[in-house]
Amino acid sequence: MSTMAMGDDPLQPEQQRHLVEAIAERSDREAFAALFRHFAPRLKTFFIRTGMRANHAEELAQETMLKVWRKAASFDAGKAGVSTWIYTIARNLRIDQLRREPPVALPDEDPSDIAELPLSAEDILLAAEREQLVRTALQSLPSEQADVVRLSYFSDKPHSEIAAELGIPIGTVKSRLRYAVTRLRSSLDKPQ
Amino acid sequence: MTLRHPQHHPSDETLLRFVSGSLPAAAALVVSVHRDGCPICRETIGHFEATGGALLDAVEPAALSDSALDDVLARLDEVEPAPSLQPAQAYREPFAPGLPLPSALRHCEIGNWQRVTPSLRIRRIRVPDAPEERLLLMHIGAGRRMPEHGHTGTEFTHVLSGRFYDHLGRYGPGDLEEADADIEHQPIVEPDEDCYCLAAVDGRMRLKSRIGRMVQPLFGF
Repeated sequence: MSTMAMGDDPLQPEQQRHLVEAIAERSDREAFAALFRHFAPRLKTFFIRTGMRANHAEELAQETMLKVWRKAASFDAGKAGVSTWIYTIARNLRIDQLRREPPVALPDEDPSDIAELPLSAEDILLAAEREQLVRTALQSLPSEQADVVRLSYFSDKPHSEIAAELGIPIGTVKSRLRYAVTRLRSSLDKPQ
Repeated sequence: MTLRHPQHHPSDETLLRFVSGSLPAAAALVVSVHRDGCPICRETIGHFEATGGALLDAVEPAALSDSALDDVLARLDEVEPAPSLQPAQAYREPFAPGLPLPSALRHCEIGNWQRVTPSLRIRRIRVPDAPEERLLLMHIGAGRRMPEHGHTGTEFTHVLSGRFYDHLGRYGPGDLEEADADIEHQPIVEPDEDCYCLAAVDGRMRLKSRIGRMVQPLFGF
C-alpha cells in the first residue's frame, strides 16, 4: 500500500474528527490508516522544518501517530480540533526529543479539565468555529508576518536567528510577530 | 487560596514560545503554574495551539517510505511503555507554609531552604529535563526588598502568596511578572504579609550593588 498522501484530497476537519472518534470507539484501523495518510506526511514536514533529518522526522511522525492511536479516547472535540490536538502531541514529542525526557511543562490534559462534562453539539461547533477562524486569519496575514509566525512555530530559533535568516533587524521580527499575534487574536475574539 | 483572577500575565510572545515548545524548561514551568490558575491564559494558549494545528494542516506533505504506514499498523497492539518520569519524592515539609506543591512541579526535586540575605530565603527547584536551568522558590519577608537587579534575559516571577510591587506594577497571588532584559527593578514586598514566588530567568541575573554581586553565586543565576 502506498502511504503517499500527495494527490489525495486533504481531510476536512469534520472528517478528521469522525476518524478519531472511530478509533476511540471501536479501535478502527481503517480510520487510523486514513488519518495517518493525511497527517503523517505533514508531521514529517513539520519535524523537518524544526531542523530534524528526514529519517528522524519520519520516525517521529510515526511515533506521533502511534500516540494518536493510544490517546484517541482522550481527544476532546469540545476543546480543540484534531489538527490542533495532533499538533500538541507532536510538539510534546519534539520537546521530549530535545530534552530526552517526557514533558513536564505541557501536560496533555489541564487539571481543570478532569471533571468531564458531557460534550454538547454546541461545544464541538464552537471549537470547530475557532479552528476555522484561525485558518482564515492565518491566510489573511501579509506574507512577511506569516513567515515570522511560521518560523516561530516550526523552529527553536531565537528571534536573533530568525532575524539573521530573514535579513531583517530583530526589532522588526518582534514587531511583525506582535502585529501578527494581535491580528490572530482580534479575529478570534470577535464573534463573527 | 484566592478567588482573585490574575491581573498580570505572560506576554503573547512568551505564550507563543510556550506553545511552540521553544521556551526554556524552567520558564515553561513558571508559565505552567500561572496557566493552571489563569482562565485568560488558558484561552490564549488554546488559540495559539489552534494556530499550530492550522499550520500543521496546511504544510506541504512530505513523501514517506513505502512501509511507513504498515510499520505503524504492526505496532498498534504494542503495550505502551510506562512514562519514565515519576512524581518526585513525597515532601516531609510543605512546599511553602500553607501552599501545596503546584501540580506542574510534581516531577521536580525541591531543595532545602537556604538563607541568602536576612530578608530572602530560597529553595532551588531542579527541573528534571534541564538540570542546568535555574528555577527558584523565593520567600521574602513582609515589607522587605529584593536586591536591585537586572538580567541578561527575561525574568519570570509568579506570585504564589503575598504581594510585591516595583516600578512595573503591583503583583499578587496568581500574577506573573515578566521583566525584560533591559529592565532593572527592585521588588518590594507589601508590609502585611510575607511573599512566596517562583522565579526563572531566561539568561543570567545581573545584580547591581556590591552586596548583590556577593550574593549572586548563592542565587545560582
